Amino acid sequence: MSDIIFIGLSFFAITGAIAMLVYKNPMYSALGLLISILAVAGMFALLNAAFLFMVQIIVYAGAIMTLILFLLMFLNIKEENLPKEPKKYLLIVLGAIIMIPFNIVILKAVSDLPNANMEIVQSDFGDIKPIGTLLYNDWILAFEMISILLLVALVGSIVLAKRKKTKKENS
Amino acid sequence: MISLTSYAFVSMILFSIGVIGVIARRNIFVIYMSIELMLNGVNLFLVTFARYYFSMDPQIITIMVISIAAAEAAIFLSVIILLYRSKKSLDTDIFTTLTQGEK
Repeated sequence: MSDIIFIGLSFFAITGAIAMLVYKNPMYSALGLLISILAVAGMFALLNAAFLFMVQIIVYAGAIMTLILFLLMFLNIKEENLPKEPKKYLLIVLGAIIMIPFNIVILKAVSDLPNANMEIVQSDFGDIKPIGTLLYNDWILAFEMISILLLVALVGSIVLAKRKKTKKENS
Repeated sequence: MISLTSYAFVSMILFSIGVIGVIARRNIFVIYMSIELMLNGVNLFLVTFARYYFSMDPQIITIMVISIAAAEAAIFLSVIILLYRSKKSLDTDIFTTLTQGEK
């Protein structure tokens, strides 16, 4: 059963990513990325990561994608503002050729590892409580650094995006 | 049938499509979304290895990556607003202020 779910989810993930890559309009690209992110969230659920499944849906599909779609509507992008991309498909093929050896190396390294049963198991692996215990015991420094980083990003984005009116009024 | 290699295959495909998007597209929005897709591919790889070794440390690293992606989204999107206001375009070839100076 989980085989069929995995095949469906990987189909949706790859199709959404390709849709993001080829559409000219950024709105359609954002919707393709949304499909891909939701499929990846489903794969997290298949891998016993229940907490990350929820985090992926809330943070990526909820917050970041809403921010992107809101900004796309806010900027009111018209057809003539979009860049012309005459050599897009040529560059896509070139990039694919560049990435093939990299993929082969990684896949060969991974397929040499011994096989393990990747089915869903009944345990508390990946639930909120063990993750929280681990986060606050072993990763507390990284957690605090992340909070400082988020604060700096918050202040920085407000400073960057506000209109600079005071300079013009003074001069 | 689903093994480590199938998950690795999907995450490598996602990462590669992200790299190809950064190489091939000139729309700065699509470049940003490609970066998000790369982060997603790496997250999937990390969670796969967490399940494979039955250790929860990679999931913690995934949480760190997701929060860094959120911070990056805030900064990147405000920079996009700035660039779009000053140049009225989303084309990365026009954004040459750093290389040629303000004109």
